[in-house]
Amino acid sequence: MRWATRSGVHIDRAASAWLIRRHIDPQAQFLFITDPGDVPADANPFDMRGVDLGHHGGDCTFETVLRRYHLDDPVLWKLAVIVHEADLDDERYDAPEARGLDVALRGLSMTCTDDEVLALTGPLFDGLYEYHRRGLLLGREPA
Amino acid sequence: MTTDNRASVTQEWVLLSYRMPREPSTPRIAVWRKLDRLGVARLGDGLVALPADARTREQLEWLADEIVEKGGSAMVWLGRPASVRQERDLAETMAAARTAEYAAMTADAAAAAEEVPSMRAAALRRLRGELRRITRRDYFPPPARDAAEAAVAALASATAPGPGMTSAMSQRTTA
Repeated sequence: MRWATRSGVHIDRAASAWLIRRHIDPQAQFLFITDPGDVPADANPFDMRGVDLGHHGGDCTFETVLRRYHLDDPVLWKLAVIVHEADLDDERYDAPEARGLDVALRGLSMTCTDDEVLALTGPLFDGLYEYHRRGLLLGREPA
Repeated sequence: MTTDNRASVTQEWVLLSYRMPREPSTPRIAVWRKLDRLGVARLGDGLVALPADARTREQLEWLADEIVEKGGSAMVWLGRPASVRQERDLAETMAAARTAEYAAMTADAAAAAEEVPSMRAAALRRLRGELRRITRRDYFPPPARDAAEAAVAALASATAPGPGMTSAMSQRTTA
């Protein structure tokens, strides 16, 4: 399936694309567009104004995707807290690592194309997921 | 980002025009607070502006969606002030609002430096967070920013006497 989002990918779109590919659609293909009117009819839009998979009720897109697809894995919700704070910085949650992740993603968006950002951040989110999965199992910070 | 600093060129701004029902007042107040947090220039009733960049544009777009979700109406515009004078006035108003916030922080930091060490550490954490929040909505940094940063740095060096002592203390608490 094809998935469309705005170009100039930042934290919420990079994390949502990772989530879609890992947990919803392994064959996902991503398109980057500038005008919401340019979404092809066969593509599923996300993190754009006025679409279902966007910000709703104070949630960022990553959180909305988790809700819409009924993904209740606590590790994914832990990542959602980090993505939320990195994207919105509204202090709804306490996520000190969000600031660093936000800066890293902003930097990547300056030096890489959108496809490259997704290629680079995929393994990063895999790693974050594994870190928090082990943390949750151990009940403390993993080594 | 600006490559051309000639005074005759105004920059691009992103504007949000919106209208919300008077009642219920909670969503209206929530939007008001979010706009405050973004440090917008209030141009009139239901019209706010920020210097345009990818982040400010995105933030106002999501806020527009939120306003519509809560029963209001909203539109996002891109535009330029028609005169340099107008833009300068706008920038000065925004810088003055930040100056007041930085000045209050500088005073807080100076007052905290007089406190006992445990109070100083708590104040330092709070003030660092506050400084970051103000800096994020500071689009035309005024001189008062340097003073606020210096006051927080002074409080930090007064709070941590030496790395040896702090790590010994944290080791004791974790053991």
